Amino acid sequence: MPSPAFSRLGSNQEPFEFHATFAHLEEGLSILHKSVDALRDATGRRFGDRPLMLFETALAEIGGNVLTHGRPPGTKRPIEFDLRCDDGTVVALLSDSGPPAHAHLSNQMPSHTSEAGRGIAMARRLLDELGYERDGEVNRWRLVKKL
Amino acid sequence: MALEVLTRQTDNGVSVIAPTGRLDVAGAPALKDAISEVVKDGPPRVVIDMGGVSFVDSTGLGSVISALKQIRGGQGELRLAAPNQQVRVVLELTTLDRVFPYYATVEDALTGF
Repeated sequence: MPSPAFSRLGSNQEPFEFHATFAHLEEGLSILHKSVDALRDATGRRFGDRPLMLFETALAEIGGNVLTHGRPPGTKRPIEFDLRCDDGTVVALLSDSGPPAHAHLSNQMPSHTSEAGRGIAMARRLLDELGYERDGEVNRWRLVKKL
Repeated sequence: MALEVLTRQTDNGVSVIAPTGRLDVAGAPALKDAISEVVKDGPPRVVIDMGGVSFVDSTGLGSVISALKQIRGGQGELRLAAPNQQVRVVLELTTLDRVFPYYATVEDALTGF
């Protein structure tokens, strides 16, 4: 079961926080987009705000990868997702139980005819920082963008 | 929102495929299925009406590339119409705007097609 929760702490100067766990593709993607909608509302940004749209695009790329590859058969641990925005910088954390992802981090943009393999290259270009670490059996992703 | 895909035929035989929702890793298979149906019937001229697509990711984009390859492989032609700002940004970021001619409206895409 998903457990989304967010706090809007009263004014745009205070941190925005959102937390959720999820296990299924469509459910997870919907929660990721809803978290950005909630951030947009909390910060008073208009629909189509470019920095937030670029961040949402990167979040969907990494989130889609995590949801697709991060729960091998038999995995009980759900995907963990945290979103925080403070002082104009948004940070998303995602963790999953998939295989190590080091080999994909430096993926370059493939040729025009390739149907796959653009996600991480896109996210790197869209964000100010894309962090990754392997923590035991867990992948931890950190996405940072100044809005 | 799951992707819904409607296909219609214009009077001069152009297939207009209209996905609605997010064209992403969850929605891409529905567009691929619709393209496969159109390609079965001979050299296709296809407009993908992106006006109802709220968001695209790299997998959704991959389904459009797959469509282009299938359609050109069948001696057909593909045009994209009415992409929103986010779709245009993704096309430009990936430089696929050089591959896909896109038009502001479906009517523009159908003109002279």
